[in-house]
Amino acid sequence: MRKLGRYLRLLRVQVRSSVLLGLQYRADFLIDGAISLCWTTTALVPLFVVFHDRPVIAGWKFAEALVVVGWFTLLEAILEGAINPSLTAVVEHIRKGTLDFVLLKPADAQFLVSTARFEPWRSTNVLTALAIWTVAFVRLGRGPSPVGVLAALVLLGSATLLLYSLWILTVSAAFYVVKVDNLTNLFGSVFDAARWPVQIFRGVLRWVFTLVVPLALMTTYPAEALLGRLSPLALVGSVAGAGAFAWLSRRVWLGSLARYSSASS
Amino acid sequence: MVSVRALRKHYTVHKRPPGLRAAFRSLFRRVPTLVKAVDGISFEIAAGERVGFLGPNGAGKTTTLKVLSGLLYPSSGEVRVDGHVPQHREDVFLKKIMLVTGQKQQLLWDLPPSETFALNRAIYEVPEPEFRRRMAELTELLELGDLVNKPTRSLSLGERMKCELAAALVHGPKVLFLDEPTIGLDVSMQATIRSFIRRYNEETGATLLLTSHYMDDVAALCPRVIVIDKGTLSYDGGLDALVRRMRPEKRVVLRLDRPAPALALEGLGKVVSADAAQVVLQVRQDAVSLTVARALATLSVRDLTVEDPPLEEVMSELFAQNRVRAETAA
Repeated sequence: MRKLGRYLRLLRVQVRSSVLLGLQYRADFLIDGAISLCWTTTALVPLFVVFHDRPVIAGWKFAEALVVVGWFTLLEAILEGAINPSLTAVVEHIRKGTLDFVLLKPADAQFLVSTARFEPWRSTNVLTALAIWTVAFVRLGRGPSPVGVLAALVLLGSATLLLYSLWILTVSAAFYVVKVDNLTNLFGSVFDAARWPVQIFRGVLRWVFTLVVPLALMTTYPAEALLGRLSPLALVGSVAGAGAFAWLSRRVWLGSLARYSSASS
Repeated sequence: MVSVRALRKHYTVHKRPPGLRAAFRSLFRRVPTLVKAVDGISFEIAAGERVGFLGPNGAGKTTTLKVLSGLLYPSSGEVRVDGHVPQHREDVFLKKIMLVTGQKQQLLWDLPPSETFALNRAIYEVPEPEFRRRMAELTELLELGDLVNKPTRSLSLGERMKCELAAALVHGPKVLFLDEPTIGLDVSMQATIRSFIRRYNEETGATLLLTSHYMDDVAALCPRVIVIDKGTLSYDGGLDALVRRMRPEKRVVLRLDRPAPALALEGLGKVVSADAAQVVLQVRQDAVSLTVARALATLSVRDLTVEDPPLEEVMSELFAQNRVRAETAA
């Protein structure tokens, strides 16, 4: 309990630093917000094109697919605002050898690097996600059920944990190879597929996006929960899957730290 | 306080000859090469000691400091710092030590140093009154003044180094590893940092292990030096004893009113340098008083000093001796 209190205090100090930093770059708020909005709007175009001639694809109506896009937009906001800023900084720390200072601190290194920087102004897409869901449910002519919302909230936690774990796995590669820009770009491209319901993919891809890079657990299942058609088994499976990925990423991170050789002065 | 026995840190690197062909070949077959960064060194440092850790570039100094601070795992050997095994990186150990490097910084770049101090206070769990007292002391000793409230990126290198030291000492470490703390600083800032480090050691009784290429740092701070070269220990003892062993002669510096004839100088000792206004002679220690008396009698001397040979010369001679010894052994 004392440990939890200590880490919450640390989190507060780290968030404070991020806010102070954010206030120094106020213009970023407006520019990043506008850019995010443009990207999301253009990202909707393929959906309009695909559903233009066909009302239902792989069991998904246009409005239902919009719910998936809403989840994708929300997770992108979390990624951009809370996960990306800190973890891309780790790659630089490893390359320059300044990770030394993190490892010298008497606190968990993964916690310190993961909470080093938040950029909440990059999270304007949270509002875009809410707007997309509103449009989707208005078109469906109904709202989500309370149970669906509750399940969706649980899945929001597990999806965030999954996303974070996948990032930790990607970042851990920086301990083995010097430049991981390509890996992070690959991650971005693969994550892009999460804007589509997983049922749209066939064969091996569907398995990959459910079990290996579990995009389905991040956007399709939460969307199905909001739509009130997710089975309890899938809900439990999603939470367990997120837990398993978190465990795996922690093991890989600790293993990578042991390999850290620090850049020479 | 610090105990190192038969410490080895070996790396495997993949070497590749220059050229495109070699680069293609290395895609399929890589030739591993063993690098012995540290190869079986042993030493003990008592609590409160100030020790200079010297050696040419690539000697293994930084690697040893990183092993001592728990950043690197040793390949073999035994290392203890205040009874702790560094690579276990227990919180209680990490709260006792700090590594300060002149070439890397922990200060948050876009925020004032005061924010890094606050972050370190939270991480090291320093109680608020103790934090305030220590910061007041550090601010006074390092003459930080208003620097702590300016963004780090707007500070000069020297100002940043002073703040780096303050950030490193927020938790009052008992053991301080300093890796080139004065690198790139101007002479007056070097002196400020040196005098601060000395005072910190005297007032807190902290143990210091310092690497530096500036021999003035070592001469001013470290009564004892440990010299390593190519990963092996080549000297461990008093700085004075090292100077006496390597260069038993003294330097007699004569400042003259009139140029001295070359013939008059030759009888006094070995001439290191001579111009119209100043002559530097190298003489055996037991001949210093005789040389001084003869110089005063025969030359028009305005001022005279007797000095040890520069430490840089002593060190380069020691490194050269080691190289010759290694080549002979090979």
